[in-house]
Formats: sequence, C-alpha cells, structure tokens
Amino acid sequence: MEVSVSHEKNEIIVRFSGRMDTPGAQEIAPQMNALTEEAGKTVILDCTDLTYISSSGLRIFLTFHKASLEKGGKVIIRNICNEIRNVFMMTGFLNLFEIQ
Amino acid sequence: MKPNRKENKRIGMTLRARLLLVVVAAITLEATSIIQYVYSQRGIKQEASLRAESELKSAENKIMDVVNQTEAAVRNSIWVAQWCLDYPDSLKRIPQRVVSENPVVVGSTIALVPGYDKKYPLYAPYAAQDMETGKIRMLSLATEEYDYPSMEWFAKPLESCESYWSEPYFDENGGDMLMVTYSVPVKDRNGEVAAILTADISLDWLTKLIGGIKVYPNAFSMVVSRSGQIMVCPVDTLVMNKTVDQFALESQDREALDRVNRAVLSGKSGETLVRYKGQNNHVYYSPVERTGWSLSIVLPDKELYKGVRRIGLLVNVLQVLGLAMIIIILRIVTRNQTKYRQLYEQKERIENEIHIASEIQMAMIPKTFPPFPERQDLDLAASIIPAKEVGGDLYDFFIRDEKLYFCIGDVSGKGIPASLVMAVTRSLFRAMSAHETTPERIVSLMNYSMSEANENNMFVTFFCGVLDLTTGQLRYCNAGHNPPVILTDDIKELPVEPNLPLGILKDMKFVEQETFLQYDDALFLYTDGLSEAENIAHEQFGDHRLKEALRGRKRSEEHLKNIAQKVALFVGEAPQSDDLTLLFIHYLGNASQSSNHLTLPNDVKQIALLPEFVDAVAKQVELDQEAASNLNLALEEVVANVMMYAYPEGTDGEVDIRATVDGKSVSFVITDSGAAFDPTAKEQINISAEAQDRPIGGLGIHLVRTIMDTVSYERKDEKNILTITKTYK
Repeated sequence: MEVSVSHEKNEIIVRFSGRMDTPGAQEIAPQMNALTEEAGKTVILDCTDLTYISSSGLRIFLTFHKASLEKGGKVIIRNICNEIRNVFMMTGFLNLFEIQ
Repeated sequence: MKPNRKENKRIGMTLRARLLLVVVAAITLEATSIIQYVYSQRGIKQEASLRAESELKSAENKIMDVVNQTEAAVRNSIWVAQWCLDYPDSLKRIPQRVVSENPVVVGSTIALVPGYDKKYPLYAPYAAQDMETGKIRMLSLATEEYDYPSMEWFAKPLESCESYWSEPYFDENGGDMLMVTYSVPVKDRNGEVAAILTADISLDWLTKLIGGIKVYPNAFSMVVSRSGQIMVCPVDTLVMNKTVDQFALESQDREALDRVNRAVLSGKSGETLVRYKGQNNHVYYSPVERTGWSLSIVLPDKELYKGVRRIGLLVNVLQVLGLAMIIIILRIVTRNQTKYRQLYEQKERIENEIHIASEIQMAMIPKTFPPFPERQDLDLAASIIPAKEVGGDLYDFFIRDEKLYFCIGDVSGKGIPASLVMAVTRSLFRAMSAHETTPERIVSLMNYSMSEANENNMFVTFFCGVLDLTTGQLRYCNAGHNPPVILTDDIKELPVEPNLPLGILKDMKFVEQETFLQYDDALFLYTDGLSEAENIAHEQFGDHRLKEALRGRKRSEEHLKNIAQKVALFVGEAPQSDDLTLLFIHYLGNASQSSNHLTLPNDVKQIALLPEFVDAVAKQVELDQEAASNLNLALEEVVANVMMYAYPEGTDGEVDIRATVDGKSVSFVITDSGAAFDPTAKEQINISAEAQDRPIGGLGIHLVRTIMDTVSYERKDEKNILTITKTYK
C-alpha cells in the first residue's frame, strides 16, 4: 500500500495504490492523520490504483471527511473501481462523498 | 488336563524302543562273547594238542632211550652168554655185568631152559641192584616156590624164540618192586634156545618220567601195557589193579573209551574225547615202539578251558553290569525326558491359556474391517500382529454422536502381567469414554484409576483421540505414547505433548491438543513394535522407513498390509520381539464436501494471506472476481475484529479459519481463544446518516452482514466461534 501526496495550486492530490486492507490502512494511517492539518483545502483522493478496501480503509476516508467538514474543506474521491464502488454502496459511502 | 492318545502312543513307543535297545545290546554282547569263547577255546585246544603231541613225543623218546639201553645191555651180553653156555658156572657173571654196567637195569638173570644142562636142571642166577646201597646182590631164581619156567618173562620168549617185553608185574623174589622185564632167548651153537637172558627195569623211573609231563596242572599221563594193564598213573592204587577195560566199565562214555582202547591197543597215535565221572577229558595217546605200551595224556576239559572259562565268566559279569548300566541310564534319561516333557507340556498349556485369555481380550476390541461400512466419511483399519510371547498392546475405537473415539496403547513389559494390564486399560477406556467427551478427561480419569492401585509399577503409554466426523476437528491427548503420523499433503509427526504414561502420577495434568483434519487427511497410530522392529543386524525400522512406507494414497487396509509386509521384509529372519499394533484413520469428511483450513497468528499483517486462501475457496464454487473479493472482505472484517478486540494488542494467539464449501454455499468458521467478543452484538449502523453522524466503528460487521447470508456467534470452551455463510444461486 502506497500513498503519494502532491500539492497543486488550489488542491492537494493524494494518490493511493495497492490494497487498503487492515494492514494497508494501518500503514497509511500516520500520513493521513498528518494530512488532516490541511483538511481545510480541497483534497482529491485518487483511487485509480486502489484495488481493494476494507472497513479500516473506509474509516480513514470517513475520519478525513469529518475533519474536512470541520475545517470547511472539500474531499473528492476520484476514479474508484467496481469492487470499491460496491463497498461504498454497501456502506452508504456513495452518498457521503463526492465521487468523480 | 488329560494326556491325549497321541502322547500315550509316544510314551508306549519309547518303552518299546527302550526294550528293543536293551535286547539288541544284550544279544550283541552275548554274541561277541560266544564268538570270542568259541575261538579262544579252539585256539587253546589246538595249542593243547600241539603241546600234548610234543610232550608225548619227548616222553616216548625218553622211554625209548631206556628201552634201547636195556635192549642194548641185554643184546651186548648175548654173545658172552652163548660162549658161556658150555660153562654154566660162569653164567652168573653175565647178569652181574648187565646190572653193574647199565644203571637203568635193576635186575638181570640168565635162566637156562630146564633140562638143557645136565648138572643144573634149573639154573637162574639173578643179579639185583639194591635200591638203597646200590650194591649188587646175587640171588637164585631156581627155587621151588618161584618156578621160573612158568613165568611170563621166560615162557613167552622161549615159545616165540624172539625177544619180549613183559607185562608189568610186582617182583617179590628179586627186586620187590614194580617192574617190566626184557627177555631175549640165547641160542647155542646148534641154534637151540638154551637160556633166556633178561634185564629188569623198575617202573619207578617211568613213573618219574611220566609224572614230569605236566602239560596242565591237573592233567595226568598214563602208560598202558599191551594187555591194557595200567603201568603208570598218578593214582597209585589204579596201577596194576585196573585195566583200561575196567575204567571203561566205570565210565559213562563207554563207546568213547572203547574207541580209545582199541586205538591205544592197536598201537596208533591220536586224540579223542572221553567222558569220565561227569567230566569231559581230552585224551592224547601215542604207542611206544617195540614194547607194545601206549603212552597217553589225559586232559580234563575243565582244566584245559579253565582260563577261558574264567575270562568268559568275567566277560559275562561285565556284560551283566553293562546291561544293568544301560538300563539304569535309559531309565534316568527317559525319566528326565518325561520330566522335561511334562514341563514343556505345562509351559505349552500355560501359554495356550494365556493365548486364549489374550484372544478373549482381543475379541473385545473391534476386529471386523471395515468397521463402519456404511460410512463414507471414514476409512479405518487396525491390526495387532502379536509377538510369540503375549504382549500388552491394545487399540480400540467406536463412534458416538458423530464422533470417533479411538485409542492405542502399549503396556510396559510382556507376558501375563502385561496382558492383564492391557485388559484393564481397555475396560477403563470403554468405561471412561462412555461418559466423557474430551480425550483429556478420558486420559486423566484412566490415569487416576490406574495410578491408584498400581502396586507393580506397570505403566501404559497411551494415545487417545476424538475426531469430530462432521468438522474434522481432532482433539487428542497423549500419555507418553510415540507421536502418531499425520498424512496431509506432507507426511509428518503429529505435534504432541509427551505428558507421562498412564499409571505413574495420579494427579498428572494432561495437556489436550487439537487440530483439524481436512478431507483425505489421515492419521496413523502405531506402537513401538513398528519403529523398533529390528532386523538381524539390530537395525531398527525407524521413522524414515515408516514415512517411506506410508507414501501414496491407499485404502487404510492396504496401508496396513503394505506396512506389515515392509516390516516383515525388513526384519527378515529376526524373531518378532514385540507386538506390532497399527491403527490407520483416513478421514474423508462428507464425500460431497471439500474443506479448507487456515490458522493465523495474532498479527494483522497476516491478513495479507487471506486473499489467496479465499481465492482457493472461491474457485471451488466458481465465483467471479467481485464475489470472491466480497467474500474476502467479509472474512477480513471478522479476522480483523478478532485481532483487534478479542486479543489485547501484543498478546499471542491464533485465529483459526475453516472454510467449508458445500455445493453452492460457502461457510467460514472463525475460532479464537481470545477474550469473549461477540461482533454480532453491535448495533446496526445507519448507512444513510450524514457524515457527521456516522460512527467510526461498526462498519466491518455491517459489511459482513451485508455480504454474507448468515452470521452467528457462539462462545464455547473458552473460545469465540463465529460462523458466516453465503449461498450463491
């Protein structure tokens, strides 16, 4: 599981790649926590290379989303595969996030 | 126990054989001694005859010496006598000269034929040698009383005109002794017999001569005259008083004596057998020339064969002693034989009874294979190849409530005590397993019972297992037995706690262990009679040969046959020292089912192993990628829950996952030994709530519920057991 963060003019793009299962989520949790400092901005979570997500990953997304809401930022999830869309659907995450 | 007919017959034959042996020995000994006796008798007889012949010859020679001397003495004086006939007075010088010049001659006379001389009608000057002084006395035989012309010594030669040896006679006139006389007629110029010149010889010298012939101590010699008069004989009274004819009358063997008589009197030499006074006598005889005497040696058989008889007697005594010894030795030997046979029979009987006892014992343990022909999920086989000596191996198994209870054990030691303990062990196993469901309890209770009354310090290595035939769960407890072999994709030892054998420590805490058998897995239990089976070079069969023998998929019975064969081949001529007990349990689950199993240590990183495991399960139901991913997600959520909530962080523990695929449905049983944690007890989350209202937790179990058809939690035996199932249409 890898994460890369790039700061653009008006937005922050976070790119995930690999499987965001329980160990994967634990792995990226510190980076994502650090990123909440900048939650007031527009953050794009790029899931193009993300193949799998479990509840641990969902919790990271939800936690970040909550922080963003508090700080008046914006979270956009980009490019999710069918499996992840399915998980989002099962958990009502499709309604919580703006998905591109 | 009564000896059977066959044994009676055997004993009878032995007795007969013994008798036969004694009889044969006796016959052989007797025959040998008879042959020896006959041959030595023949030899002795031959030797005796040779000796007798030579003695006779030498005696005859000596007699002939005397006879010749006498005859010469007389003949040499004949011409003087003829010359002196004309001067009768000078005639008396002639006998005097004959006696004085010839020491053998004891007396001599020249007796004129009556009427030859005018001056002396009877004239017979006699010269006699005095036996004591040796002086020669001159006597005259021409006396009234004597009447010499009628004497044999005078009459016979006169009549025949030839020299003559007289019969022995006792001379009262001249020498007062037993004598014989040699007479020669003396003729005058006209050729008329004018006088008889004689020489007397005493029979004393003959007696001395003959008495000197001692062929054998009790043998004696006789000289018999022409008329059968006995001249010389060791019994003095017989001399002159008896003739051999009279002897013959006294003898029982008349015919033989007659034969001797005729032979002796006919002047021939030879030998014959005569029976006299109840005894056999060998008589050797030979004539003495000219005199008409016959010389004989009488040899009593008793005397002749005295030596042989003595040896024969000795041989007989030795024979009797030898036979007695043979009989005694035979008796001792047969008595020992009988004793050994009795001991042997006793031993066989005891062994027989022990075998019967052990067979009774064996009959109680299941021996029909296959034992559960109706079951598709179990293929079980067991065998005991007993060693020659009764041992104490056992195995047992039965099914109750879809669970297979089984055990294998080996009692320390051999013989009756071991087999008795084996019986007790088996009974205890049945008694305890009738009520208890876990191997640990069964083993502990058995151990308690056996330790309590174990005065002989016998112990039993024991392995007890309970196999849940539905789930493949195997619980087992080992009591010092060698670890069984588990056959999965690999062949290896089942990990076991050694614990202690039964019967040693009453309060021993036995550790129970658990594993899961998958479809087609097998368990092979055995006693050390297998691994320690030795060949002649004292090499043991060992684990590597065992593992080699277990390779390949076979039916349980085939496996056991194969192993038994391999062991037999390995052991070869070496005797089987210990019972060989084998138990093979082949678990086949439900024929339509296939199951999978994964055990993870308590570490979330291990979750990365799940996708592969789930993919394998998913393939069995032919799920697509998305469905497989969902299945993985549900399983991950459950496992992650256990790792995060049931086990406190950093503690050790395991999460056991068993997947069961049945047709189109998949179920997972997730088991852990952590703190009680029921994920299903969590409240359902509201997935349509706004983000601010959404709780962080609860997503996982929500996903599980959403993906799976059923989710059920159970807390059992200090374990969390969660079962999730999904059925695909």
